[in-house]
Amino acid sequence: MNSSINLLSRRSFFDRSLKVGLGVALSTLVDIPFVMKRALAEGNIGLNGKKLLFVFLRGANDGLNSIVPIGDPSYVSLTPGAGYGVSTIRPNIVVPPDSLTDYAALGACDSPVAGPSQSTYFYPNAIRVGNGFSALHPSLKFLAPVYNAGDLTLIHRVGYPRQSRSHFDSQNYWETGNPNNNLSKDGIFYRTMVESGLASVNALTGVSVQSSLPLIFRGSQVAMTNLNDPTRFNLKGVPSGTGDVKADAAIRAAMGLEAVPKINRDLLRLQYENMSNTLRIFEQLDFSENGNTFRDATVTDGDTGYSLSGSGGYHLFPTSNAKNGGYNRTGGTTDTSRYTVSTGAYGFFNQLKSAAMILNNTDAVIAGTELGGFDTHNLQGAATGSHANLQRTIGWSIYALRKYFSQYANRVDWNNVVIVTLSEFGRTTKQNTTAGTDHAEAGAMFVAGGGIKGYGKPGGRGIIGCHPTNDSVPWITGPANQAGGVDGTMFGVSDSYLKRAVDYRSVLGKLIRDHLGATQNQLNRIIPGYTNSGEKLQSGGTSTIDNTAIIGEPALV
Amino acid sequence: MSLRRNLLSGWCCLATFFLAAPENLLTRRAAAAAEPPAVSITASNTQRVLKWTPYPSAQSYKLWRSPALGQAWTEETNGTRSGFQLITPGTNSSGFYRVEVQPLGSNALLTASILNRLAYGPTPDELERVASIGPQAYISEQLSPESIVETFDSGLTATNGGSVWLYGSAVGTYSANSLYIYLSAAGTSYLDDIRLVAGSDPTTGVNLISNGDFESGFPTANWIVGTNATASAATTEAAKSGTSSLKMVFNSGGSTFYNAIQFTNITGLTNGQTCSVGFWYVPATNASLTVRLSGNGILATPDAAIPGITFKLNNRTARIEDFRAWHIQRAVRAKRQLLETQLQFWENHFVTQYSKSRDYFDRFYDDGTVMGWLATDLEVRENQLWRNALLDPNATFTDLLKISVESPAMIIFLDTVDSRGDGSNVANENYAREILELFTFGVDNGYDQNDIVQMSRIWSGWTVRIKDSDKLNDPFAVQTTNQIVAGIGSTNTAVSNLFGVWGMAFRPERHFTNSTTSFTTAKSLFYNWTTNPVTSALTRSTGKTIPARFGPPWVGRDYSWASPVGNGTNAINEGYAVVAHLANQPFTEEFLSVKLCRLFVHDNFTPGYDFTDGVTTPEEELVKACMLAWENSTPKGNIRAVLSTIFNSDLFRGNDGSMQKIRTPFEFGVATVRSLRSTDLSGRPTADTDGYNVATLTGRAGAMGLFDRAEPDGFPEAGPPWISAGTLAERIRFAQDMLLVSGKEYTATTSDPVGLIRRKLPVQNLTSATAVVDYFLAILFPGEGAGNLEGYRTQAINFLNTADDGLTASPFSALTTTTTIYDTRVRGMVAMLLTFPRFQEQ
Repeated sequence: MNSSINLLSRRSFFDRSLKVGLGVALSTLVDIPFVMKRALAEGNIGLNGKKLLFVFLRGANDGLNSIVPIGDPSYVSLTPGAGYGVSTIRPNIVVPPDSLTDYAALGACDSPVAGPSQSTYFYPNAIRVGNGFSALHPSLKFLAPVYNAGDLTLIHRVGYPRQSRSHFDSQNYWETGNPNNNLSKDGIFYRTMVESGLASVNALTGVSVQSSLPLIFRGSQVAMTNLNDPTRFNLKGVPSGTGDVKADAAIRAAMGLEAVPKINRDLLRLQYENMSNTLRIFEQLDFSENGNTFRDATVTDGDTGYSLSGSGGYHLFPTSNAKNGGYNRTGGTTDTSRYTVSTGAYGFFNQLKSAAMILNNTDAVIAGTELGGFDTHNLQGAATGSHANLQRTIGWSIYALRKYFSQYANRVDWNNVVIVTLSEFGRTTKQNTTAGTDHAEAGAMFVAGGGIKGYGKPGGRGIIGCHPTNDSVPWITGPANQAGGVDGTMFGVSDSYLKRAVDYRSVLGKLIRDHLGATQNQLNRIIPGYTNSGEKLQSGGTSTIDNTAIIGEPALV
Repeated sequence: MSLRRNLLSGWCCLATFFLAAPENLLTRRAAAAAEPPAVSITASNTQRVLKWTPYPSAQSYKLWRSPALGQAWTEETNGTRSGFQLITPGTNSSGFYRVEVQPLGSNALLTASILNRLAYGPTPDELERVASIGPQAYISEQLSPESIVETFDSGLTATNGGSVWLYGSAVGTYSANSLYIYLSAAGTSYLDDIRLVAGSDPTTGVNLISNGDFESGFPTANWIVGTNATASAATTEAAKSGTSSLKMVFNSGGSTFYNAIQFTNITGLTNGQTCSVGFWYVPATNASLTVRLSGNGILATPDAAIPGITFKLNNRTARIEDFRAWHIQRAVRAKRQLLETQLQFWENHFVTQYSKSRDYFDRFYDDGTVMGWLATDLEVRENQLWRNALLDPNATFTDLLKISVESPAMIIFLDTVDSRGDGSNVANENYAREILELFTFGVDNGYDQNDIVQMSRIWSGWTVRIKDSDKLNDPFAVQTTNQIVAGIGSTNTAVSNLFGVWGMAFRPERHFTNSTTSFTTAKSLFYNWTTNPVTSALTRSTGKTIPARFGPPWVGRDYSWASPVGNGTNAINEGYAVVAHLANQPFTEEFLSVKLCRLFVHDNFTPGYDFTDGVTTPEEELVKACMLAWENSTPKGNIRAVLSTIFNSDLFRGNDGSMQKIRTPFEFGVATVRSLRSTDLSGRPTADTDGYNVATLTGRAGAMGLFDRAEPDGFPEAGPPWISAGTLAERIRFAQDMLLVSGKEYTATTSDPVGLIRRKLPVQNLTSATAVVDYFLAILFPGEGAGNLEGYRTQAINFLNTADDGLTASPFSALTTTTTIYDTRVRGMVAMLLTFPRFQEQ
């Protein structure tokens, strides 16, 4: 046999599917579940123009080496002399201090700029944040301009009561918003979108760009969207000249057919419908590499030696060597020392770019992706190495997203976007024998956006949870079992782990209510912990769950 | 399960109505085991609508009508049926209705379940075979894989004169009178006894290649040698038979006539005629062999087939892509299906990551190819050990766990490889945590952080080392001193210049010796501890006991474990003692029973049952039955005893198990190929894959890179993590592509549905849309029941009877079965069915 088969173009698929499929699509919108009808009556989620972009740092980021408590002598000695820079708890993986820097000085965050003749990460030391106590990992240097613009808040000591040190339990708790509740099956951002009342009206409300739909977007009543690669998000035809008309119409008709209830059938029906409906939206959008060249409008990192065509800076989304920092230099030379991120990050930046474009171009209110590799039990490195490479990705991502939403996004302004990172826990205060760190308790979060009240903005702080006196729950320096039985904060749990001072739900709750526009009643449904006043998620205070003092909602927006 | 079936084989539901008061019209007969379909009636002056809900695995729904109670029932033939409703004109006289459900027979239902769960999906031939031998016989057969002969493992390799010869073959249609033979890259290979014959069996019939045994020199008549292979010649260096073979020496890769060795002027075949080629060859290193007819009527790429890849696996020169393809081809083709699905389950339970091993080898090697081979070899070896273990009727969970504990891939994956407990070193906790959380007890089940810290010390010293291959199983063997490049000098002892095998090693000097710890008693697991209020040091108190929820026979058992501080090489035995201790605790029994039930029955099993509270569910009962089978088997923890318990449970055999699960991307890819896989009338497969294509799909449809999972929980078994818009689109693309003939992206995954129905259907049925559709519905959705597939059936029949524009009527019965348009019509219809939601299920 030699069948002649035409592959279907996406355009023709949609023209046809619109003809045959509209009835199906509309019918799905009529039967609005009760929970969403109720939600239509309140709140502004999705109606106020505000959007959220999240990145889940999977494997548990070592927060102590991201936001470094450089002023705590238990982390590293700053005493001048032979002992300077020595860390007894992290001899091989300490982020080295800079003996020429006074980390106690107050002011803006130091911003090491490479200029035209240095490597991007030429500065190997802890970067002074300027709150008198904290420092950033040198690979987070691109956070400095965001911080100094007041668009970033660093939050340390984030966790939840009775911290699980299982990746899988703890990721689940972060994603469901229900710590220690293994029966909770739907995600915190799923519930947020259900409360918006839009999830049954718009095909795209919550979107992830990664290999599979994360729990944070899963739920039983409506479908959130996940795709791995928008450039492959289309169907093929089936054999024959134009026989695809029949088959593609058939998929749309078949997916809604009544069937015997089985465990996964609602899931399949919802996701088939979501696929079919979102295919039509994505057909309108161009995600191709060539169609989307986003570059820093100004010189990046002082690198005047870099210019692709005319003036301008680095590519915002490094998806290949050629687009990675200042690698592709004027005159056709290349320079790997001017990479902004490791070459292993290209896939992530493809997904991050897609997530940002989806947020700008569609009705989606929340978009996100994930970054793996944080489970650094072994040889995690210090100023360089595997953990440092991951910090580069975090730092450049936030820098680039700020530029994208300021320069290129035509429907969503940077002032209406918040970027937030999640990670299931922090890592052991002490390094292990393999120059890595094991599972522990509190970690760190990064929150950025034009509307974020950061450094220099009224009421803004820029950094929360990493100072001995600035927060309602102070950072206690020193080791465990000090005079009076006081444990240093880094040894506050089992004499080994960083103790929590901020609940991740307070951070997400603040953003969901005060940024996305949920009412307090909606938030109580989205994060059930808010209904328990003993948890102190909003006000702060001593949680009755674990008798631990927490800061409460940080002043983010 | 028979109870339910008996109840349903008769009248299932009674609906009576009269026009005056429709809300009172419904009566239902109670059913003990399953809800009957709910029936509703709405009536107006113009029409009456009788609706019922679909019933599990219904083969048919019949409607019966009686004009009045006490009067005879007759089948309702008036009105229009569509889906699960009947619409009759309002002018009909009123009466009583009842809906009769004919469900699938219990054997048919069970057949679908076992082929979907014990196997990687039904094939047309296996459906027929199980229908013939019965599902129980199939279960028995599959529980004893050692009694099943796998043909792809035997008879295809031979050792002659010190050379390992592989057999390659392919069936196809005659397309041109030249046969091309070439290597993919520069290299040397030997070829012998090449035969080209009419028909599908290359071992019989007249050989159309002259001097195919190369006993008469080379090149002889009709043999032409390309310019890149001029050094090729007949040789006595090696021979499969006789004294000579063809030594093929390529100085660059070939692709077509001018850069191949060619046999021309083939006579005796006509275009389109079935023919086949078979040959023996000695594989080249780093180059693969192609034998094909010009025009690709026959295409043999034996190095990508199971014997060719097996050769590389044995040679430790397989890439991870090769091993995946081998694994997938076996999944598609194996008769020992349960062995293959079990192997995948255990491989995934004791997950390790190829990439992490490769990164580890990066410390010692510069050559990325070598690193890839070595890392693949670790995956292959643990897989081979599990395969051998599962072929043993007495295999226990302890056996499987021990293989994982000793696997270099695991030692590297969870960071034991560098862990030290000596002196002031703090041992790495990663493996200690995960062996409890993920491999034995399950999360938060009978252990705490103290146990993790204590256990991390037990594993300190377990590492890997390159050893003499005959000392692979000796954990104390020193690093090999065999050098790959001899003569460089004794100083070149860099690991990358050593020849040996990477295996588990125990280094006593790294093992825990530190007594100045926060525990006053070392290496004690599952104890209660008392805290010294001044020093915070922990002192061992009583052993922990099995919690009350387990009930008898487990409750109250002291499950603490303590070891003296091991000395020297003896300390390795602490690890083995821990393995034996963990393997048969009720926590482990429960966690693994739950995981196996999720694999075979459905997603909704969760550890943590209270077996004593008097409240049970069928799921809880099955888990407990599995645990008892585990506990009471001899030896304890016998895998087959647990599987057998599941396969004999009502939950597995009935509708509560059937079609409840979503295929993983791997299962979907394999099942898609298998669903159409038989042989056509010429003996060619009606669906096939090289395996590499399916591996590509699994990567795209949810990042399921086999043997390369980054997270230690293994790939999910439940449906939700696998299903999203993006992953569904990739699954649909794969299924559609398999039915495409040209414009393909998965070029080595093909199908021939017309070839299948030519074999399976009477000729007169080939142009019957209903016969063709019913056949495919039966092989693609065997567990659903034809009565529940009416929507699919209607669409498929309409598809066959509609022209390619999707609008014009074009009766299928008018098509000629040998035409392209017929072939295309059937392909399109089958592709359509494969893209439907029910095909995602098993």
